[in-house]
Amino acid sequence: MIEFQNVSIAFNNNHAVLHDLSFKAHFYEKIAILGISGGGKTTLLRLMLGLVQPDSGRIFIDGQDITELSESELRESRMKFSIVFQEGALFDSLNVRENVVFCFREYSNLSQEEIEKKARELLHKLGIEEAIDLMPEELSGGMQRRVAIARALAGCNPKMVLYDEATSGLDPLTADNICSLITDLAKGEPPERTGFIIVTHKVTDAVKVAERFIYLRNGEIAFDGDIGALRNTEDPELRAFTGELHLSEKHL
Amino acid sequence: MLWIECSLVSEYRLCLRVYNQFFQQISMERSIILYSYIDRQMLNMAYPINLKGNIARLQDFYVMSVKATMGIFRRPLYFREAIEQMDYMGTGSFFIVFLVSLFIGMALCLQISAELSNLGLKMYTGKIVGISIIREIGPVSIALVFAGRVGSGMASELGSMMLGHQVDILRVQGVDPVKKLVTPRIIGSVLMLPVLTVIGDAVSLFGGYYISVYVSHQSGFFYWSQIKEIMSFDNIFSGVMKPFIFGYLISCISCYTGLSTRGGARGLRTSTTTAVVYSMIMIILSDFILTRILLYVLGMRV
Repeated sequence: MIEFQNVSIAFNNNHAVLHDLSFKAHFYEKIAILGISGGGKTTLLRLMLGLVQPDSGRIFIDGQDITELSESELRESRMKFSIVFQEGALFDSLNVRENVVFCFREYSNLSQEEIEKKARELLHKLGIEEAIDLMPEELSGGMQRRVAIARALAGCNPKMVLYDEATSGLDPLTADNICSLITDLAKGEPPERTGFIIVTHKVTDAVKVAERFIYLRNGEIAFDGDIGALRNTEDPELRAFTGELHLSEKHL
Repeated sequence: MLWIECSLVSEYRLCLRVYNQFFQQISMERSIILYSYIDRQMLNMAYPINLKGNIARLQDFYVMSVKATMGIFRRPLYFREAIEQMDYMGTGSFFIVFLVSLFIGMALCLQISAELSNLGLKMYTGKIVGISIIREIGPVSIALVFAGRVGSGMASELGSMMLGHQVDILRVQGVDPVKKLVTPRIIGSVLMLPVLTVIGDAVSLFGGYYISVYVSHQSGFFYWSQIKEIMSFDNIFSGVMKPFIFGYLISCISCYTGLSTRGGARGLRTSTTTAVVYSMIMIILSDFILTRILLYVLGMRV
């Protein structure tokens, strides 16, 4: 269970990115966090992982307040998550295989053959097995995201995967493929399911994958509900933001 | 020094709060890159002079350096990374060190030989060139070249890893970025700079030999006999000990500036420049201090 209690954070020049934000989420949920660029969506993920500390408020992960933990104590809480950053954030000096098995090499006692087998399995699952020996700079944007997803899944059995703008900057077909992948990887029944939080400003992608939608406005939660509530919202700004969604429905 | 600034009671309270905050922060080891958090706190205070920010950075630097140094003795040991760094720093810098050392040795020999000719003491060229190269010019010039080539490389590499969220990925995966990224670079730098210095010194002496024999028309045998004469423990110790300290300073400064990179390409440019400039300043400063200490320890009269 993830719980934010009155969390506020401001960056330089006292600009409040998140203000008095509170919400709860289960690890098995499929959540999309929507909002305009610079609205604090990515900061929310970073707070969840303890990569930045809030100015005020508490963040509980499985009942443990992570705002009071040291870097080494945060490790256990971070192990419950994996994250896929917008640019993939692959290690430039490592090839695809080494990127994917990075976590295995650090923590497991698996033999070289077993690690190789696991890397191939994961890459096969994501449809990029042929890229196993390539370096990150040789991959297209879509492939880089796939490798990043493979690395996130190879992490030590995460309970939840965090996707930061996973479909941004990709052509519609590749973005669609990534969305299908995200959905496939979150199959299963709660509470065993590995859930996800996808941060995006592309509403059409969010509705393809998520079941719960949170809209951030001025650092606060302006909307929290399911797809039905999102479609019927009376909030003019949210309606404008989700205009793409209404447009695509009309076409359908 | 912080207290000197506080002329008003309210200012005093503000400083006390800030001080408490970041000392508590550091004791909790809340963040590896403490800078980001502390700096934010500092800027939020909108204090006119960013003295506290600088103190915080300095403290951050010490915390990182100590953690990275302790990492050499703690598991997991990143041997592969250390070897890679040694290769990059040592083999990669060989050519530039060779070139710089050769011409420094030759230029120095020309200058000294010209001056000594006027005094009729040309036969002492080898001795003066040798002492200058081994004790002072060799270690400092090679450290400056090393700071320019390797220091900037370290800062830009770590900086781009920060901006590209690769450091965040390490932290999320439970890997200590300081141990994984900084410790191997310190090992590489501390081990390779002395090796490069010894090679550079030898090349400089050969440069000096060439000028002495073929330009200044002195006896080659006499040149080498003078060099042999100055190869005492004191001189060699003075010259070889310094690069260990310089290597440590270059790697710590460059890694710290790299890991505190913020603000895209502009931030990367700033951190790379800062790494080289601060490394160079510290090389020159520490060279003076080390020379003073060594002369005292080795009992040499000034």
